[in-house]
Amino acid sequence: MSDSETKRISRRDFLRLAGASATAVAATAVGAATAPEAKAAPAATAPKWESRLSVCDMCFNRCGLIARVERGVITKLDPNPKFTKSRGMLCARGNAGVAQVYDPDRVKTPLLRVGKRGEGKWKAISWDEAIELAASRMQDIAAKYTRCGMLFSAGADMQSGFVSRFAEAFGSFNVTSHESLCLLSGNRAFVDTFGDVPLPDVKNSKYVILAGANRLEALVTPDSMDLVSSMGNGAKVVVLDPRYTKSAALASEWHPIRPGTDMAFMLACAHVIITEKLYDATYMAERTSGLDKLSAHVADLTPEWAEGETGIPAADIRRMARELAAAAPASMVYPGRRTSDYENSTQIRRSFAIVNALLGNYDRPGGLVPARPAGLKKVAFEPPWYDDSPPGRVDAKSVPLLFDDEGSFVLTREAVIKGAPYPIKGWFVYKTNPMATAPERRKTREMIDQLDFMVVVDIAMSDTAWMADLVLPAPSAMERQDPVQALQSGAEGACLVWRDPVIPPLYESRPVFDILKALAGKLGLAEFFDFDIPAYRLKQLAAFPEAAEILKRDGVFYPPNPPLGGTDGQPFKTPSQKIELFCSRYADMGLDPLPVYQPPKASPDAARKFRLVVGRSACITQGSSTNNPLLSEFEPENLLWLNEDAARELGVRQGDVVQVESPAGKGELKALVTPKIRRDTVYMLSGFGSISGGLTHTRGVGASIVELMESRFDSICGNSAIHETFLSVKKKGAA
Amino acid sequence: MRSLKRHDASDIFIHWFNAACWLLLLLSGLGLIKNERLNPLGAWLPDALRALFGGGSAGGAVLLVLHEVVGVLWVLGFLAYLAVNARGAKYFLKEIFSVRPGDLSWLVRKMGRMTVGPLLGGRGELPPQGYYNMGQKAFAQASVAGGLAIVLSGAVLLLSDKLLPAAATPLIGWAVTLHYLAVGLVFAGLLVHIYMAAISPEEKPGFRSMFTGSVPEDYARHHHGLWVEALGKDDPGSK
Amino acid sequence: MSTQKLAMVIDSAKCIDCKGCMAACKQANGVSRGVWRNWIKEAMPPLENGPAGSKKLGHGHFQPGACMHCDEPSCIQACPTGATYKSAADGTVVIDPKLCIGCGNCIKACPYGARFRDPVKRIADKCNYCPERRAAGLAPACVDTCPTKARVFGDINDPGSDAAKLLAANQGRVVRVIAKQKDTRPNMYYLASTAPDGWAVQPVDPLSFDFLTAFVAPVVKWAVGLSGLGVLAMLGRQLLAGAGGAHGPGGSADGADKDAKEDHHA
Repeated sequence: MSDSETKRISRRDFLRLAGASATAVAATAVGAATAPEAKAAPAATAPKWESRLSVCDMCFNRCGLIARVERGVITKLDPNPKFTKSRGMLCARGNAGVAQVYDPDRVKTPLLRVGKRGEGKWKAISWDEAIELAASRMQDIAAKYTRCGMLFSAGADMQSGFVSRFAEAFGSFNVTSHESLCLLSGNRAFVDTFGDVPLPDVKNSKYVILAGANRLEALVTPDSMDLVSSMGNGAKVVVLDPRYTKSAALASEWHPIRPGTDMAFMLACAHVIITEKLYDATYMAERTSGLDKLSAHVADLTPEWAEGETGIPAADIRRMARELAAAAPASMVYPGRRTSDYENSTQIRRSFAIVNALLGNYDRPGGLVPARPAGLKKVAFEPPWYDDSPPGRVDAKSVPLLFDDEGSFVLTREAVIKGAPYPIKGWFVYKTNPMATAPERRKTREMIDQLDFMVVVDIAMSDTAWMADLVLPAPSAMERQDPVQALQSGAEGACLVWRDPVIPPLYESRPVFDILKALAGKLGLAEFFDFDIPAYRLKQLAAFPEAAEILKRDGVFYPPNPPLGGTDGQPFKTPSQKIELFCSRYADMGLDPLPVYQPPKASPDAARKFRLVVGRSACITQGSSTNNPLLSEFEPENLLWLNEDAARELGVRQGDVVQVESPAGKGELKALVTPKIRRDTVYMLSGFGSISGGLTHTRGVGASIVELMESRFDSICGNSAIHETFLSVKKKGAA
Repeated sequence: MRSLKRHDASDIFIHWFNAACWLLLLLSGLGLIKNERLNPLGAWLPDALRALFGGGSAGGAVLLVLHEVVGVLWVLGFLAYLAVNARGAKYFLKEIFSVRPGDLSWLVRKMGRMTVGPLLGGRGELPPQGYYNMGQKAFAQASVAGGLAIVLSGAVLLLSDKLLPAAATPLIGWAVTLHYLAVGLVFAGLLVHIYMAAISPEEKPGFRSMFTGSVPEDYARHHHGLWVEALGKDDPGSK
Repeated sequence: MSTQKLAMVIDSAKCIDCKGCMAACKQANGVSRGVWRNWIKEAMPPLENGPAGSKKLGHGHFQPGACMHCDEPSCIQACPTGATYKSAADGTVVIDPKLCIGCGNCIKACPYGARFRDPVKRIADKCNYCPERRAAGLAPACVDTCPTKARVFGDINDPGSDAAKLLAANQGRVVRVIAKQKDTRPNMYYLASTAPDGWAVQPVDPLSFDFLTAFVAPVVKWAVGLSGLGVLAMLGRQLLAGAGGAHGPGGSADGADKDAKEDHHA
């Protein structure tokens, strides 16, 4: 029995409002029995602020923003309406950028470890001391272990390119980033199918299948917003996810697919499209290779078969395949971004790529479009040669198709732990947090134990910084001047952004560029850093002489965007120069040239019944923002999503603390008993259960997901595989 | 004719200080109440008072500051009086709270005579009164009790947005209620006090004594016979 | 005279519950930790028939909200000082922070729970449509920041405003959330439909205020009235009796004073 109701406005009421006659509305307002105050509120004055342009740093999207600065203090960050990629928005995390700048937990000075690693005892030292120390330790490592004895890890940041430059100048091949914990499988699969990594044009799409990609919470600009507006324009969005996420809630259709069976769904779609001849035969003949082999491969992979694997009714699978094909080429299987799930994640994404190819949607509105050339010039240099260098990366050849400039963090970590094929004894970390984002946290600790020297450059005392020997304070993006970065926005092509400082750096923070330049000076590598950011930027923008002025004025520059369809008639960058349904490269390497479905492995231990899946909240960014004072109010702790029936069996009620365990580690957190997840699956947010004493809001709060995740990897490209862990769950205090 | 000293300088000061503060507090307070269910005289009154200071809620905000400042000064004034003339204060309190047999009868008959006349108030002598007559005592009692209630509730209202947490809002609500009640009842008595003290010709010498400090002896004998008697027992001319 | 009527027109079907509006408001308005000027409510999705006789969650819905700047606000009737009132210039329900004494009467007087007592400022607080931003030509923070532009804000008295146009384009398809026995005529309009429903509550006055209005105020009126009448009667007697002596017709005791008085003149 509800206390209230939504009341439809009566036509008379409505006309009074929308008829917009001033007297009519005033009469409504004043004539009422309880006449409101017939006085005007005192007029507010506009804030006395200065508006300065910059670009958000709270996630990789880099939304353009306008910073409002009052008396030297940033009081608000607003969207930059000229930055169309964000559709004129700044999300919760963007708004929390102010809280990040003024976070009392910020690292303020260079800190030298004085106790044991991870003990948290620090001594503040001067920058001169810090640079001297870091340079000499790196020198030592180079002498004892060759230059490849230093590992460099940089997160997604506009200055990370300088870390790679330094690594190259220093002579180390060992550079990792966040990408091998995230998106490499998808990139691999699409590169091996299309020759490049295309981008979805959601805005013009009529039918989108989101398999796993929780776009309405894992915000990607403009895709997340375009999904909503496309649906408003009649497009259909289908979500396949074992969790009833917000994407699932708002989609046209949701299916609680059994985790690990996406490939079955895709292959069955391919089966329908092929057997019912729902493809453009001319296009397939001219632009793709291997259709006949694919045809044979999926001949028995019917929707009925897929129903048995996925739990989705065969009739629905068949219908969706037909609907997908009917909307083609303005339809797609959304490629997704994070693809670090199973040990065959690359092959799973091959099945996604194959269905897209069957839709003929490459370089078509509403389909997958090639990344537009942004026109930025690389500022090249000649790296020095070091005679004693080993042949390659420490994780080289560990998997058949490693991305050479990315490698695999988990395989690099193994190599460091083993000391083979050669030892790595030093680690330079910039703005990335493997202690909170790499699976099997105890292995990251084990890796750190092998090191002679570990230096972390970060704005906060992350869990990774907590383990370091030297922590160097980085400024927030609002305090920095940054080189130009190119961003892609679906069919709208590329845009260029840069940063100029909104406020001067706080405390003793220094941008990593300055740190690297100083280190280069000490290590005899000054020539590779003999420039400043403004000069660097001008070189980057050599093709666009007008860009600098426009960037200063608007905060964004749009290079000319060629229309779609420009690749028609052009060869694809694949061995066959066509879209490879059948991947010849894989065939040559002894890998499955067509994705072969394997049912997801069952839990090896009957006591561990629940598969742990990873996901996102729109309010935080993985491991780096849970401690933000504003954002921690939205997500104060992580909860274990536990299906209602499963909870009942375990005697767990809403809010009970549960103990979770896997072979990798254990944790405790409160349960969220919900119908929004399958019985066989559990979920928790990343970024909690922190160990760092410098994280006021998350230390010891909730459980650490990386403590629980077993470390697996994709067999083709080495991308992390973090959906392969099964947990045991029991109520705390239960027998 | 002899004059009898009735009030000393500090008494005179505190009386007029009290009156002035009360007047300012009453006016500013009336300007602060603005609610259809509460407006004592209608919305025009707080509106007019607020208009003196810019109008609207901004004018009200000025009135609020005025009210709080004068309120605090008022309390400080009394504390100063207590420091300077504790003896006088004690005497005052002793007098106003000593209700003698016959006092209530005096009061009722006096009120009757002055309003309706002998029809209600009868004729004949009224019982003698002390330093203060019962009417004065009744009003003084109300003033002291009411004043305390006003100050205590006022303190809550002063601190409400400066110190008190959300859990205290019921207390603040009751403070508003008590403040309104106490002010209202004392004001009702005040109307009579002002008439009696300043308008009624009968009390003119008493009114003058709030300036000069003294009353004519025969006036005192007639109106406050018991007091004069008690005086006679002590040194003449002293209190 | 043209007065504005500022209102919010929301297509809640577009809301993805990203909390951007809540973060923007908190940052722009310095709202204290633990309290919110705006919110997003989540509707419990219906349970539908799934495959193989199972049950499946149906479509979800998120509903952004905040102070609805009602046309007949129940909150202003609870405020003793008139610190909160509806502005005639733009229709917003205002709280003047300098006049609010933090008594808390208005908090439960709102059917939508839109008001709260700020733990740091210690006075009532709520959405005020960001007047400082509007003075700078910007939309309220929540509207500006929304990824899907679910919130549309403007003067619905101005037919050229986006909000008015949206209402005009959706005639007959606009709803408001109200409390069953109390329609405060909120100015937050949801297009087509919205969920959850049934969450607005009856406005409630604190007991101290009920007592004040129902009992204390009349008692004071009576007391002052009677007292005033009495004073008028005394004054009347005084004037009618003329210069006939201070004590009027009375007994011999009174008469004795007349002598005393004459002695005085002697």
